[in-house]
Amino acid sequence: MENTWLYISIVASVISIGVAFYLYFWVRRQDPGTEKAQEVASWIREGSQAYLKRLYFALSVVALILGFIIAIVFSFDLADVAAGGATIQPMNGIRMAIAFISGSLCSAVAGYMGMGIAVEANVRTATAANESLNKAFKLSFYAGSVMGLAMVGLAVLGMTVIFLLTGDAQTVLGFSFGASALALLAKAGGGIYTKTADIAADLVGKVEVGIPEDDPRNPAVVADNVGDNVGDVAGMGADIFDSYVASTVAVMLLAAASATMDSKYVVLPLILCTLGIGASLIGIQFVRVGKNGKPGPALNFGTVLTTVIFAVMVVLLVMFADINIGVLWATLTGLVTGVVVGFTSDYFTSEDRKPVQETARVSGSGAAINIITGFSYGLVSIVPSVIGIAVATLLSYYLADSSGLPGIYGIGISAVGMLAISGMIVSADAYGPIVDNARGIAEMAGMDSHVITTTDTLDAAGNTAKAITKGFSISAAALTVLALFAAYTEVVTASGVEISLSLKEPIVVAGVFLGAMTPPLFSALTMLSVTHNAFDMIEEIRRQFRESPGILAGTERPDYATCVDLAAQGALTSLIMPAFLAVGLPLLVGFILGPNALGGFLGGSIFTGVVFALLMANAGGLWDNAKKFIETGQFGGSGSDAHKASVVGDTVGDPFKDTAGPSLNTLITVMSLVSSLFAPIIAAFHLF
Amino acid sequence: MTVHLYLSLIPEALIASMLSPEEFGAYYAVGTEKKSSGQAIFFEVDPKFRSKYFRIPEGIGRCVPHEDGTPKSSIYISVYRVLEHVDNSAMGQLYLTTKDGRTLGLESTDVIPEMDGGLHLYKEIAPVSPLVASRLNPLDFYDLIVKNPTSLVTLPAIAFAELRLDELAEDPEMGEVGDLPYKNMDHLRGVLKVLKTKPVATKMVDRVSSSSIAYRTVKNGFFVGNGQKLLYYPMPSKEALRENNYRWWRSANM
Repeated sequence: MENTWLYISIVASVISIGVAFYLYFWVRRQDPGTEKAQEVASWIREGSQAYLKRLYFALSVVALILGFIIAIVFSFDLADVAAGGATIQPMNGIRMAIAFISGSLCSAVAGYMGMGIAVEANVRTATAANESLNKAFKLSFYAGSVMGLAMVGLAVLGMTVIFLLTGDAQTVLGFSFGASALALLAKAGGGIYTKTADIAADLVGKVEVGIPEDDPRNPAVVADNVGDNVGDVAGMGADIFDSYVASTVAVMLLAAASATMDSKYVVLPLILCTLGIGASLIGIQFVRVGKNGKPGPALNFGTVLTTVIFAVMVVLLVMFADINIGVLWATLTGLVTGVVVGFTSDYFTSEDRKPVQETARVSGSGAAINIITGFSYGLVSIVPSVIGIAVATLLSYYLADSSGLPGIYGIGISAVGMLAISGMIVSADAYGPIVDNARGIAEMAGMDSHVITTTDTLDAAGNTAKAITKGFSISAAALTVLALFAAYTEVVTASGVEISLSLKEPIVVAGVFLGAMTPPLFSALTMLSVTHNAFDMIEEIRRQFRESPGILAGTERPDYATCVDLAAQGALTSLIMPAFLAVGLPLLVGFILGPNALGGFLGGSIFTGVVFALLMANAGGLWDNAKKFIETGQFGGSGSDAHKASVVGDTVGDPFKDTAGPSLNTLITVMSLVSSLFAPIIAAFHLF
Repeated sequence: MTVHLYLSLIPEALIASMLSPEEFGAYYAVGTEKKSSGQAIFFEVDPKFRSKYFRIPEGIGRCVPHEDGTPKSSIYISVYRVLEHVDNSAMGQLYLTTKDGRTLGLESTDVIPEMDGGLHLYKEIAPVSPLVASRLNPLDFYDLIVKNPTSLVTLPAIAFAELRLDELAEDPEMGEVGDLPYKNMDHLRGVLKVLKTKPVATKMVDRVSSSSIAYRTVKNGFFVGNGQKLLYYPMPSKEALRENNYRWWRSANM
């Protein structure tokens, strides 16, 4: 029966990839617009592809090196090594290495497909906006769906095939680690790239020279638009891919490690993902702008409808497939929590709500007050999300426990439930940067003002979708790493080492402190990279304006390529230390301080990681929208003292929300995966 | 190449140039190697205009192309008391250039807008540039300052714009600020309150006000008069600007 489900999963994932390909070619068949628009789009497309090529080349080298290490390490029979023996089983190592590289490859392919269609869809959306909002919305959303459907399809296909071939959840963990390693670097690199370009373009273009957003006279404008693709499409796609796979694998591991659970519960997370694919495929069909012409409600309707369809499917699964009712409760808990946390993020970043309006109001008293207020609301925004995560943790644990399932399995299932509808969530999320780019192209290509108005309307809906996705991904990551944390303790225990995570033990407390330190340090490193790289780009923009006065006069074309190159080079070289932190630090802590300290380390990093991720995502979004709210003609509008203060707040918030914040959930996932993967070796070899 | 005469209001100057108004606006705002940037407001003046106060023929004579054939951007003919010595009849279109060098041309009209009640805010552009609040409508304000001065403060000519007060015009204390980007709003409210409650015609809001204007705050248009004739350059509506002059409007709202 389990194998039947696995074959169904493969069919569903192939259908998902097939639909993604169909939409890919459908989007490409649409009118690419005027020669000028196509020229502008080609600058963005070439810049994006050049960056991804360099990123993926670097990642290929990293993946091959890590794959080689994994192949060596996992060639040893770890149980035998712990007992002092040295039995070598090369096929185990090769199998794990192939799984690892497959994970990286699938994540890369999903990101590349998503970005590949985004840079084709942007110009077509701008062209369609010339005709109607409905047509532009449909085109941009279907283009976003390419990313969503390709991502879930490749993830489920990869995990299912590996499990079908090996029957070993630990090998699927290798797949997950590969996906996460790539996701971390893609997300952090994309985040550094996009904010380097954005901040530099704004500080010189808007503040110093007074040219508007997306003005073709700004030498950094193409880099800025490229950043939207590499950061918000490829990066975010890789991030969700990572959480999606990690949550599934964590639950598979827990079920596999349990002596009491039936084998069908090992494949159950894959079944839930398969149902999620089905629900997303149906939900996507109903995302349409009605007569009221509002794309925001259309996207939200799609998310809610997909959630309901998925819930019904899970009810039917439990009723007819002899699945424990605890699975249903845990899934529903995760699903509802995801929606609630997502919409809570929207509350704190929406222009219609008090936090944004209050921050805008006090901006008249200066940048300091704007920053203090926004930061404080960011801190407050942690509360409902953390309570939601805490409630989901307790509910899913005890509901599963009372139904006869291990409680921790319930927590993992709630994370899977939350992420099962990722096909829809990512589709709505990837829509945002596509319409943002469409607006940029319309500006740069000198298209009519009604095209700008239409793309503005589409863009506003994209921002809301982005906020909801961030809430989803952070809360899902929190539950996922809790399950991974449990999986880590199971693997250590299975290695014959008794693990104790009591805070009475100083080694555990030391681990907690070291873990708690890591997310803030990671945030600092990525944000310092942004400021360092932005400084270089600012100098380059100033140089171009200084040496070529014709650029501002509109008689000379800026050198866009140099700025694109600066952003790409800066982002890639900035990844070394963050990558070491994610992969190297847990191993150092594990091998030096031992498995108990590593357990404390993971706990500390999970808690500060979640708190920082929520704070940064919400405070950054809040500052951004406070500025936009003032620009709608409130508190003095553009050019007022309040506006100047809000511009400072927005600039501070940029690396919060788009660089450090979104990378933190990937960081804690990667650290948890590294720990789980190397747990048997750490259990055998540690100093203390 | 044609030589144009421009009367700049920020700062006040008479300039000969081989650039078209749009090119001149871009050059004047951003197109120097020193990378200056700043708003410009200027009239195109009839090139046949002559005055004993300016050495116009000499200026035009020196306005020749550079050695490489590129047009001469500017020859300054005068930078002092220019507005009062240029006949209104010689003034052509008024050009508004944004900080980043985009230029919008306005035509003058004989139709003066209907004058409403309430309080007014005037941004004097040349020859001096204070910000003044008043109970007087634009025509009466012009009368008071230039045509029939009854106070000690008088000017031989003036270029000014009335700025929007929106709700503040009727309710200085509680009216919403909306998109009015004025500095020191508490002081402005106080000044308007005084005008509303005490028998004074005008009151200074800011004596060293910045010479630039947020164009979106212009209520009706620009007024230019020298005692003989008052010219009025109406500002198109926001909607018309967004529809027909999108790039300029966007830059103007930065």
